[in-house]
Amino acid sequence: MGSAAVRVVIVEDQALLREGIVALLAENGIEVVAQAEDGPGLQRIVDGHRPDLAICDVRLPPTFTDEGIRAALEARRRHPELAVLVLSQYVEPVYTGELLASGESGVGYLLKERVSEVRTFVESVKRVAGGGTALDREVVSALIADRGRSGSDAELGALTARERETLELIAQGRTNAAIAREMVVTLGAVEKHVTNIFAKLDLPAGDDDHRRVLAVLTYLRATGGK
Amino acid sequence: MTRSTPNSGAGSVVQRTVLVPSAVLLTTLVVIWAATGAGYFWPMWAALGLAIPAGLWLAIRWARLQPRGASRRYAMQASISLVLVLTDVLVWAMSGGGYFWPIFPFIGLAGALAVHRAFLRPGQRSLQLRVDELARTRSGVLDVQASELRRIERDLHDGAQARLVALSMQLGRAEERLADQPETAALVRQAREEATAAIRELRDLARGIAPPVLADRGLVAAVESLASRSTANVEVVGEIDQRLPPVVEIAAYFVVAESLTNVVKHAPGASARVTLSLDGAMLVVEVADNGPGGADPAGGGLTGLKQRVEALDGRLEIHTVANEGTVVWAVLPFE
Repeated sequence: MGSAAVRVVIVEDQALLREGIVALLAENGIEVVAQAEDGPGLQRIVDGHRPDLAICDVRLPPTFTDEGIRAALEARRRHPELAVLVLSQYVEPVYTGELLASGESGVGYLLKERVSEVRTFVESVKRVAGGGTALDREVVSALIADRGRSGSDAELGALTARERETLELIAQGRTNAAIAREMVVTLGAVEKHVTNIFAKLDLPAGDDDHRRVLAVLTYLRATGGK
Repeated sequence: MTRSTPNSGAGSVVQRTVLVPSAVLLTTLVVIWAATGAGYFWPMWAALGLAIPAGLWLAIRWARLQPRGASRRYAMQASISLVLVLTDVLVWAMSGGGYFWPIFPFIGLAGALAVHRAFLRPGQRSLQLRVDELARTRSGVLDVQASELRRIERDLHDGAQARLVALSMQLGRAEERLADQPETAALVRQAREEATAAIRELRDLARGIAPPVLADRGLVAAVESLASRSTANVEVVGEIDQRLPPVVEIAAYFVVAESLTNVVKHAPGASARVTLSLDGAMLVVEVADNGPGGADPAGGGLTGLKQRVEALDGRLEIHTVANEGTVVWAVLPFE
């Protein structure tokens, strides 16, 4: 995330929440350049303002179903560089999967109440705007159970056998020390494998736990149905 | 994984196994007839022979579209009688006409129908009317209930849940500004955590009513969502390309949800396959696992499911074989 100010648009039909988020972001140096209340409004302000990031609710007028997801996917189709952060009152793996599959730019899916953890929320907003990923811990646990999907094996194909083995152990929740014991190698060797895995899978920067979880996600999504 | 070819399988099977061979056979016979001097057109008798089972098949299919019970039995007899009478008339015409003997089987079959109808005595007929009315009003009540529950879910989402989210956000902002007063900040944090817990409880409650994805995207998407949440390895085969009445979708959803919960609970490590398909005006749901079997059909969860399905005039069966697995099979009629 560069030093240039992050420009954000918000689409949320609940005025109280929308204005609260605008104020909260302003207090933390993030400029909200436009607001809207429904799916068509999202297209309009994204086309008009070319923001770095669109924050949107899932359930929006006029349909009050998954309007927000459909609008976000459409906006990303038209502006592939647009980062999207979806806020929802419920976790839905189907929608998360669609968002993650919708492009290379930043993606987030957070439960709405995470806005109350102000600092973490602001970090998530900046990370997604900068091209990173922010998935709610409940989204992650729902996706970890996701073994029924099939996906491309291209990313995993780039891993060596040892790196693949390391990734499997990470997926099982092992620590580096435990992986070193299991594979009968030094701790330094494991750390080198981990670094290589993250580079080859092109995972966004973040703290170590976050990177590990994303590695797990990619692994599970790509090897699902095995 | 998701195929959208409802019933086209049955149609192509009929085409492959019946229509095509029949057409080939008849064409062959006509060629033989032409080659042998094109005299008396005897291949028509072969055509009649093939037309009779086809007519009966159509008659039975039509009758099965009628509401179950007495009226369907009556429709079945009437449509089969009609096919038999038409057959007799054709035979009469093809054999050169003359004395109209088909009148006798016609009188016989019509008499049998009249007897059948008479057996639906006034009492029985009013009973039948009452049953029809009860079935109609019950399904009306269930529809109302389904839409009421959906309304409650929306009200929670837009009302209490939304207010609690706004509340917790304001508390979060207050907490940020109290960085220099740690004791007050701790109180505010506690309040924020309570609000978050309340949001979580409301969310679980709303999800128990009906998951939003079911209303938004329909049964197949909701079941795929369930499958992806399950820790078991679940394959979903959905052959439905239309939306069904909400009350049917919800019942089918909970059949799958409860069955997958049972797979995880009683058959750890097993994989499961969920099949959703339409058979005429019936939704067929099947959840099969390769676990250790031994499911207890009288268990609380399964009994609840059975009641839920039977309230919609559906049927639910559980087949369980030790060391081979369990199949939960439900069929739900919809209009």
